[in-house]
Amino acid sequence: MMVRCKMYNSFGFKSLAAMLLFFILSISISFNYRHMANTLSLYRTVKRLGIPDERIILMLVDDMACNARNKYPAQVFNNENHKLNLYGDNVEVDYHGYEVNAENFLRVLTGRHKAAVPRSKRLLSDEGSHILLYMTGHGGDEFLKFQDSEELQSHDLADAVKQMKEKPCVSYHKTRFKELLIMVDTCQAATLFSQLHSPGVLAIGSSMKGENSYSHHLDSDVGVSVVDRFTFYTLAFFEKLNMYDNASLSSLFTSYNPTLLMSTAYYRTDLYQRKLEEVPVTNFFGSVMETIHTDLAYRTTRSRKTSETKMPLQQSVEHDERRQLINSNVQDQTSDTKIEDKQCPFTRRWNAFQDKLEKIERIDSLVNYGLIIMFPLLLISTWLSL
Amino acid sequence: MSEISPEVPDNRQDAPSHVDPNSTRITKPGVKRLVLTLSVLFSLVLGFPFLWKSVEIYRSSLPFGEISEMESNPSLSFPCRFQAVFINFNSNPSPNHLQLSILDKITELTSNSSQCGACANDLALSVTVDSISSCTQTHPTDNSNYYRCGAISAVDFDFSNDDDDGVDELLESVLGVKNVYSVVVVNGGGEGIRAVVGKYRHAWIVGSVEEEEEESVLVSRVAEIFVKMFVNGGTENGLIHGEFMPVGADRRIVLSFNLLNAEPNDWVYDWDFQRVDETLLAPIIKVLGPIANISVESQVLYHTPKSSFSYWDEKWKSYIFSTKDLPFFVNSNEWHLDTSIAAGGRSKILQFVVYVPSAKECPLSLLLPTGEISKTNGFISPMWGGVVVWNPPGCLNSETNHPSRHTMSREDLQAVFEVFMGQFRQLFGLKSNNLYIGASGTYHLLPSGKGFTEWELDVLSRQFACFNLHSCATTLGSLSRLVQSLPRMIIMDEIGKLVQFSLEAAKLAQSNASLGDNESSAGQARSLAEDAFFHPSIMSISYYSFEHCFAIYSPFFLPVSMHVLLAALREWKRYKQEKAKYTAWKAKVKVES
Repeated sequence: MMVRCKMYNSFGFKSLAAMLLFFILSISISFNYRHMANTLSLYRTVKRLGIPDERIILMLVDDMACNARNKYPAQVFNNENHKLNLYGDNVEVDYHGYEVNAENFLRVLTGRHKAAVPRSKRLLSDEGSHILLYMTGHGGDEFLKFQDSEELQSHDLADAVKQMKEKPCVSYHKTRFKELLIMVDTCQAATLFSQLHSPGVLAIGSSMKGENSYSHHLDSDVGVSVVDRFTFYTLAFFEKLNMYDNASLSSLFTSYNPTLLMSTAYYRTDLYQRKLEEVPVTNFFGSVMETIHTDLAYRTTRSRKTSETKMPLQQSVEHDERRQLINSNVQDQTSDTKIEDKQCPFTRRWNAFQDKLEKIERIDSLVNYGLIIMFPLLLISTWLSL
Repeated sequence: MSEISPEVPDNRQDAPSHVDPNSTRITKPGVKRLVLTLSVLFSLVLGFPFLWKSVEIYRSSLPFGEISEMESNPSLSFPCRFQAVFINFNSNPSPNHLQLSILDKITELTSNSSQCGACANDLALSVTVDSISSCTQTHPTDNSNYYRCGAISAVDFDFSNDDDDGVDELLESVLGVKNVYSVVVVNGGGEGIRAVVGKYRHAWIVGSVEEEEEESVLVSRVAEIFVKMFVNGGTENGLIHGEFMPVGADRRIVLSFNLLNAEPNDWVYDWDFQRVDETLLAPIIKVLGPIANISVESQVLYHTPKSSFSYWDEKWKSYIFSTKDLPFFVNSNEWHLDTSIAAGGRSKILQFVVYVPSAKECPLSLLLPTGEISKTNGFISPMWGGVVVWNPPGCLNSETNHPSRHTMSREDLQAVFEVFMGQFRQLFGLKSNNLYIGASGTYHLLPSGKGFTEWELDVLSRQFACFNLHSCATTLGSLSRLVQSLPRMIIMDEIGKLVQFSLEAAKLAQSNASLGDNESSAGQARSLAEDAFFHPSIMSISYYSFEHCFAIYSPFFLPVSMHVLLAALREWKRYKQEKAKYTAWKAKVKVES
């Protein structure tokens, strides 16, 4: 039994040099079990190939595992043989529930978070990173659905990617990635990346415009479809690999069979400079660090002569200073001091008045007194006017 | 009795009987209705500019012109002030001649490097020839900081080549000025020429030189020290590849030190990190203060096996892993390194890992492609950090079956931290070799107890200032292009202020650099520019589109304004008609009378 369009969104990012992997999933109704299973299976694969949790951002609406309608509580399967519990151990979801929305997604991509957002929820990529962005859910012509209430349009995605990477005309250009691979598993997936025009971006979608993407099989025990075809065949490809392999991206892309997928997996390489045959899949799906051997230690003859009994007092003072929590709001301080100089006298006096007001401790009682005084004033003025 | 009012004479009989009410009228048409409708229409029209202003998108004005100007020329020019002192040269060469030949050599060496920080524009060299009999100097423009005659004599130099540190301190006490780099050339001592670069901002060359042609050798060595050491930091193309600066956007680096026990069932090692932090790390952190704000964290982890494989090698009597395994060494699934709480969202974390192997793989050594065993047993990953494999002593012969707790000895910890220092310098692009082999000869480099010598710090701060300024310029440029491409996006005042302060700091950095005063304005400029660019209010999805505005306001104003307009038009038409009728009647009356 085929189910037509998916109803969730699922995303995954991953980047290297710092490899980050990032998934999103947005669910709000059941019959969307398979999107969560899609995302978690790819998450598991990518972790197996070496990417750590701190480099993965997983956005999952995450209400299937503990849903009252799930016959196997706290378990999510992607195959009817139930061999693998995807939700088993060590699943770190960064964005849950209502946090999975288009705004947060774009914030993660562009890096425009509020200051209090922790590092685990940020895309910590730099100019040398390779990012994998995997999205699954319900989509259509030039849009992707979030949580049944919002849509992400293809031009929004293209704008966000453009902001991540300016054209490399000077050497110190502002970029958040070196290469980006976008995988989309929704209906009419290829339309989502039709507006991209930033260099270094590779994109593959599970279906073309006018085509649907289908689920793979139905699990009659759980009662819903458990995995989508595109993701199923992607996982099958990766099951054969381990960390040391260097299968190329072109072998991955050409492994999709349109008859089996029941749609055409379309990919665009016009923005990507390198040849697909030369790019190993572990560049995006696995973690391969660039390493340089350390030739020599930095030895100082003086350090050998340092007497062990020396306990420098002044160093311990500095040490304490360093250990304090440093509030790094430099720009607030500079802006405050600069603002004061440039104000007119009225504003200065008003601000001084406001500062004084703030310093009054029992401002509440002052306000109450003021309100109480109003009544006699009112009475007197009414009596006078009569 | 009802009164009967007298009959009113019928005036109408006087009126002409052929008045046609459709084409003429007797009385002037009233203007009240017209005035009423027109005044309503007028007030609507008058209020329209106020409405327009009130729904205007608030955009703080950004100085686009200044930003594009800064982006086209984000360069810093540092002045280079050199001096060369020749001591005990009895042949008394002319300082001006020496100055010219050294300058020639310097220009020759810097001709192919156009990177930031090189002495392209502002180069001044002063030469002094000081011997027992006389002392001659070229005249620099500002001679306050330069060498005074007679300050150093040949007897101060220890020609037995033992006490380099002592000579270094002596020269520092004589020459120590902030912005001037010096080379002291002494004639004397044994055979050959020995060149040493000190820990501060000077170097010395000792050798017995008598002939003329050896003078040109000295000149080329002096020039090489100036260019290759003091300007380029001991590397060919300047230090760091422009992309990989290991400093976070908020000028903070967090150094995270991790001691990993792969198999705690065999042995567990602990370390006295506190002491290391106070004695070894504190001076380094202090000295790097102007460049970055460094904080240090440490942790000890257990059950952290590596993910690559090793094999036993009989020749080396240890387990071997090769450089091909290095990319897979770090087992990110089990090494939970990035657990820092103090690191903010935009700081850079550098991980330093000491890996203690299990008994099954101990001792573990790194085999280099050349066939030798690595002396440091460590490697780095740029922008990530470094790993050192430390083998517990006597592990090959140990027979312990139960887990034993040990603490790393002081000497072992010292050795490991020396490797860390080498890795830290490597992450910044500096080599840790004590010998530099240049085109004209070899140079001994004195290592500093603070981890970085002062001339290396100068090079680092110049490179960082250049990078920060470039980064600031491109960030501001990207921001201005983004803002101009979204004309209906709200730009808050805060962003405008951040941009303004960033530009001011950048200009300050540029002017300070040309004066030779290198401080942290460029870093601040970059940090402010990034704050502006990554301000959370710049979200393109929430900008106020024109369709949105129209959809909100049209139900209020469209029906009303339509009615008012129609009414005014109708009244105007009616007035014109009545006016025409009146004028027709008046004309007729005139004709008749």
